[in-house]
Amino acid sequence: MKTRLAFPRITAWILLCVVGSSLISADPALAKEKIAYRLKWLINASTAGDVFALDHGFFSEQGMDVAVKAGGPERDAVRELELGYAQFGVASADQVIRALAKGASVVVLAQLFQVNPLQWIYRADDFSLTRIQDLAGRTVGITYGGNDATIMRALLATVGMDEHQVRLASVRYDYTPFFQNQVTIWPVYRNTQGIFLSDKLAAGGERVAFFDPSEHGVRFVANSVVTSTQMMDHHPQRVGRFTRALLAGWQAAMAPANESAVIRAVAKYDRDTSEAVMRRQLTATRQMIQPDPDIPIGHIDATAWQQTEQIMIRQGLISGPVNVIGRLRRHHAP
Amino acid sequence: MLHRRVFQFFIVYLLGIGLLFGIKLALNLSDYVIPGPTGVWHTGQAEFSRYMGDVLDTFAVAVIGQVLSILMALGVGVAGRRATWFGSFIKVAAYNVQAYPIVAIAPILFILLGDGFLTRLFIAAMICYFPLLLSVIGIMSEPVVDIEHFYRVTGRLRWQLEVKIRAFENLHKLTTVISGSATLAMAGTIVAEFIAANAGIGYSIRIALYQSDLSKILVALFIIGITLSLYQGILELLGAGLKKAWAAG
Repeated sequence: MKTRLAFPRITAWILLCVVGSSLISADPALAKEKIAYRLKWLINASTAGDVFALDHGFFSEQGMDVAVKAGGPERDAVRELELGYAQFGVASADQVIRALAKGASVVVLAQLFQVNPLQWIYRADDFSLTRIQDLAGRTVGITYGGNDATIMRALLATVGMDEHQVRLASVRYDYTPFFQNQVTIWPVYRNTQGIFLSDKLAAGGERVAFFDPSEHGVRFVANSVVTSTQMMDHHPQRVGRFTRALLAGWQAAMAPANESAVIRAVAKYDRDTSEAVMRRQLTATRQMIQPDPDIPIGHIDATAWQQTEQIMIRQGLISGPVNVIGRLRRHHAP
Repeated sequence: MLHRRVFQFFIVYLLGIGLLFGIKLALNLSDYVIPGPTGVWHTGQAEFSRYMGDVLDTFAVAVIGQVLSILMALGVGVAGRRATWFGSFIKVAAYNVQAYPIVAIAPILFILLGDGFLTRLFIAAMICYFPLLLSVIGIMSEPVVDIEHFYRVTGRLRWQLEVKIRAFENLHKLTTVISGSATLAMAGTIVAEFIAANAGIGYSIRIALYQSDLSKILVALFIIGITLSLYQGILELLGAGLKKAWAAG
């Protein structure tokens, strides 16, 4: 008899616990806000701060349950914001400006890279590139349609060089033409691919150098954190908390003392890069995220944004001004 | 037959693009996510001739790739039609190699052949070849008992005659498979251009994707579709003509 009564009692208790816990979690005061954050590219050293913020509870502290989603060539954070698949994302400046030119409502919350990691690698023993004019007659790799093509054209234009004075070669992810010396100046993300390529060439006894457009006056803005105008207008608190958590995550991730913890966080997603390489990638990333200790992480370089817009207008990539300055939100220190 | 193909393509394309515009309107999306009709029209006007040239470039490679595939599939299919060890080996090899994704093989081709014509041709032929081969093997290994029996009992059934009988009796199937493989050859060439070439419509689509320009992609899809519809229609006409001529002869 006792056993027969015990079963319904236990079932009732279990049901009560399940219903109770679901009611608690459904309470908006206690539940964490679910946020989707779409990155620009796959997770690697360039996204160290994003994954560190996630792994070390920076978002949780702000009451947010953030899903950091890897990007890729077919992913477009600005589109995802508009379609509601993501609430925050990372986009390059040219993406933002193109989107604005086509009527998208997007706001820039922070500029992650102060120095654009997109640079050109070459063999230092073969020649040296100290001036833009040194590119003349050389085979320069560009991704047609990509922002490296835009940057290279802008560089040539600054010194009045014609595109035909260099040999532009179409490149993609396969480095064979560079290894075989068919394309001698190759576009890379200096803090990630740049390290890996340097190692490969060093193994063959070759030294490399990098050609950095920002040193020649072209400051084309790279990855920045964006959200929709609607989110900004309707949920300014949420935007503030997200930005604070993210930039605090980046701040901590860029501290040399946290390097091992950052490597562990990134390595969870990037299993193909060795710890030694990642360490050097982080060192290079640090110099691009905060090249000047007086400038806070996430600082929006309005002049560089303006220059990026001007370059795109001059190259006919957008039909007219989009007033990108009006879409830059002043940075809140973490 | 031709005009029906083109008309059917127009219906499909307009339905697709209409659905996109409907979504844009319903969700109030910007031109960055889905371009408006005027944007697509203007892009069409600006890019049509350039994209047409690109599509014809791609199409030329696709046709050569398809012809190569047909010849290889017929050769290997005829050799592999018998229930022998070699026949079964060919079938197993065809099934297995078909399972390899082309994006994994492309970098190897890229190293061996560079990023030019040969890579595009090879990938187009690879994508088109295996489905063709499987169909040819299927057709060629199916005896036409009623007809073959007569020649077999009179001792006149040589392998050439066997192949002819089976091909003639399945000519409609073969024409359909070859016509269908045109789509695969075109898709294969576009994939090849997307990942490993500097020419053709696949390469232009890649650039448009970099620029987040869906209007250009919609224009490219239109030209690809209309070209393929015409080509498939012509292939079907040729198939029908061939059957008539063969039957008369």
